[in-house]
Amino acid sequence: MDLVQLEIEERGEVVIARVKGELDLAGAPATGEAIGEAVPTSARGLVVDFSGLEFIDSSGIAMLFNLARRLGSRRQELRVVAVDGKPVARVLEIVEFDRAAPVHQTLEEALGSVDGA
Amino acid sequence: MTDLPQLFDLRLKARALAYLFTAGAALAALTLILPHDSEFRELQIGIVVGCALAIGVLLYWSADRITSDWQVHAALAAGTTLICFANYYTGTANLFALLYTWAGLYAFYFFATGPALVHLVYIAAGYAVVLSIREAPSPAIRWLLGVGTPLVAGLLISNMLDRLRSGQAELRGSEARTRLVLDSAPDAFVTLDAEGVIRGWNRAAERIFGWGANEAIGQPMKTLLTPPEHRDRHDDRRRGLVEDSDSAAPVQYEVELQRRDGSRFPAEATVSKVDVRGEVLLPGFIRDVTDRKRRQDEREALLREQAARAEAERVAEMVSGMQLLVDAALAHRTLDDILFDLVARVRAVLDADAAAIYLAADRALSLAAASGGAAEERTSEAVPIGEGFVGRVAAGREPLLVQDPAPADLPYPALEALGIDSLIGLPLLAEGEVTGVLVVGAAAPRHFTADDVNLLRLAADRVALAVDHARVYEREHRIAETLQRSLLPERLPQLPGLSIAARYLPAAAEAEVGGDWYDVLPTPSGGVGLVMGDVAGKGLAAASMVGRLRSALRAYALEGHPPARVVEQLNRLIWTEADESQMATLIYLVVDPGAAELHWVNAGHPPPLLLSESRLPQFLEGGGSVPLGVLPFPDFQEVSMGIDQGATVVLYTDGLVERPGEHIDTGLDRLAEVVRGASTDPQEICDLVLDQMVPEAGAPDDVALLTLRTIPMADRFSVELPTEPEALASMRALLRRWLRHVEGSEEEITEVLTACGEAATNAIEHAGAGTPFEISGQVDGRRVEISVRDFGAWRSPREGDHGRGLSLMRSLMDTVDVVPGPEGTTVRMQRTLLDPKVNGDRQ
Repeated sequence: MDLVQLEIEERGEVVIARVKGELDLAGAPATGEAIGEAVPTSARGLVVDFSGLEFIDSSGIAMLFNLARRLGSRRQELRVVAVDGKPVARVLEIVEFDRAAPVHQTLEEALGSVDGA
Repeated sequence: MTDLPQLFDLRLKARALAYLFTAGAALAALTLILPHDSEFRELQIGIVVGCALAIGVLLYWSADRITSDWQVHAALAAGTTLICFANYYTGTANLFALLYTWAGLYAFYFFATGPALVHLVYIAAGYAVVLSIREAPSPAIRWLLGVGTPLVAGLLISNMLDRLRSGQAELRGSEARTRLVLDSAPDAFVTLDAEGVIRGWNRAAERIFGWGANEAIGQPMKTLLTPPEHRDRHDDRRRGLVEDSDSAAPVQYEVELQRRDGSRFPAEATVSKVDVRGEVLLPGFIRDVTDRKRRQDEREALLREQAARAEAERVAEMVSGMQLLVDAALAHRTLDDILFDLVARVRAVLDADAAAIYLAADRALSLAAASGGAAEERTSEAVPIGEGFVGRVAAGREPLLVQDPAPADLPYPALEALGIDSLIGLPLLAEGEVTGVLVVGAAAPRHFTADDVNLLRLAADRVALAVDHARVYEREHRIAETLQRSLLPERLPQLPGLSIAARYLPAAAEAEVGGDWYDVLPTPSGGVGLVMGDVAGKGLAAASMVGRLRSALRAYALEGHPPARVVEQLNRLIWTEADESQMATLIYLVVDPGAAELHWVNAGHPPPLLLSESRLPQFLEGGGSVPLGVLPFPDFQEVSMGIDQGATVVLYTDGLVERPGEHIDTGLDRLAEVVRGASTDPQEICDLVLDQMVPEAGAPDDVALLTLRTIPMADRFSVELPTEPEALASMRALLRRWLRHVEGSEEEITEVLTACGEAATNAIEHAGAGTPFEISGQVDGRRVEISVRDFGAWRSPREGDHGRGLSLMRSLMDTVDVVPGPEGTTVRMQRTLLDPKVNGDRQ
């Protein structure tokens, strides 16, 4: 029932962060902080899975951009999973997030792209 | 018989003599008519008849004026003389022998023997002269002898004899009268001489004592009438009377005397002292007072018995009164009520005119309650311990009884107005401490005694106990009440699209605070959580458990746990931390207005009532489980249910629906019936329910009531929200409902929500903390316009993170206008929604 729920999973050298619920000013800063700390420097990359997220606003987008900047400085890969037609994908599209990091339809696709990088 | 003639009064004697004269005249007149010889002198006879008649008439008419026996004697002598004349002039004595005899009989009958003999001698002498002078040589000598001799001789002899006897006769006559009076008296009349020898003894004495006068007279009274053990006292009294020269007034004694047969009786003797020619006599009346004494004894016994019974009743009444004193304290009421009750009862039980209780605090005593006297005249000044009447009682720790206290000593002025002149003060002791002073006052004629003080001691003990109980109870009650009040929400949260009202009604009897509580809290998801609980038990323990449950529930709920999980945590808390007897019922119900859903968990609480426009009132029976604290791991099931726009949910505690001797279903049915007829406004529903469901005398148990209504969406809305990130979810929930109301598609709704979220986020980040922001919406055809207005300075969105907000808004809405103003900034956004039919087709 919490507004936003976060699950972290490490699969090989990739960290998966599943974000569910609604991501707004109330939850975004803390969520971004938690995800950032969950990614060790040894990891190859991070997949932020928004397939269970129902709402995102500019605070959530800002969180993503911050993560992208942080991982980029460590030469780690960032992938985002957002299902087309859902509100989150629409917002990511509007802010043209795909210029900062690739947006995939499924987790497997995203993981595959990290491995392939 | 000898003395009786002396007792005839003079009038009777005169009248009798008048008849004798008249009869004599008549007899003489008869001789005139009868044939008579030559010696018969008609003229002289006529004169004698006239004289006799005249004297007779004179005697008859002047009988009342006769003042002494001498006049009667003279009249009788004159009569005898006339008889002699008549005898002489008729020349024959035959007829007049009758008159001579009558005169003699008269003398004997009416006079004492002496005077009667004198008259007889005179009659005989007169008759002898009449016989002799008829033979006298000359008429002159005949006349002289006939008239003079009997007259002079009779008068001289009679005079001489009477003078000799007069004193003695008078005395004997008076003695006889006295004797007669005394003999007829009901009381014994006994006369003693100075030596105590009986000299007088009347008939009543004979009757009472059984001794005849001849037996008693001459005996010492001491041996005859006085029981042996009283004889010395009898002698003392007698001697005292005789020797006391001044005493003339009668003296009365209560004595015990004995009869001839030895039986004794109580007697009252009234004795006086008389001096008869140098001889001291002690005449006295003796009255048998056996009857009077018995009646008196009976009356005294009766009075004693009545007094004893009254005392017994008084004690019984006091004991029961004292029991009531304790009862008064045990009934849980306010201290003031109890004190007032106590003083009234103490006053009644002791029949006092005033009673008051002072309570000690900070080395001083204050008047806490008083009965008797005008209340407004009382002073409320505190009395330091040791000062004044009350202060001295407290300092001395002993009861104080004061008669006729000085006005300054009266504890409060009203007592002076009551005329209190007898005052008792008792310290009230609880566990060795002086907790107060009980003051009781009485006005004349009631006067307190040491006995009253002892009785009051008993009362004071009970009063002290009662006051102590009441004080402890009051303190606990106050703490619990304060605690409980602090646990109920001071203000209900204002949430968009929801209207909430709550009521808390303590039990009428001012009993201990109960464990009823409620709470309203916004959930992170934009819903609202309603809590209604009832911790078993009362007072401080229950109130503190409410506090812990409330804090824990808020913490778990705000962490976003689902209802079943929240309630499980509460169960763990009460199971592990509270003692075994602690138990609580609870319902936790979350209203999600956006999704138009209810989610709830019920731990043994009466079911909430749901009302909606389309259905009858319905109790939400599902999701029931055991109360908290019963099992370590009960299975709490969350139940969900869709609700209509405008639905109302009512939560309550059992105090509202449970009545003694009534099945709870009756109360539930009544609640449903009342709510059914209510308006849709939660405030009005609460008022109506309390009005209809709570008895006029007040609720027997605490009642908590919480009502929430989801306000149906109109084409316009406007709400103020706090400038906190947490408000964003509430805002989205509201907007989602409104956009559904205006029939936006899900996609459109999300996009508008996102745009509005950006505007609101800006307002929250830039407006000053503590000032709210306002969001309003309106729809015109298919075009919706939403404005977000803050009251802070608008900052131009920076490039980068937050600059994206504005671009998002512009992308998602048709138009976005940022209008800065002197008081704040308004972001106005418009978007034309697709036709719902088209939306429907697309879906």
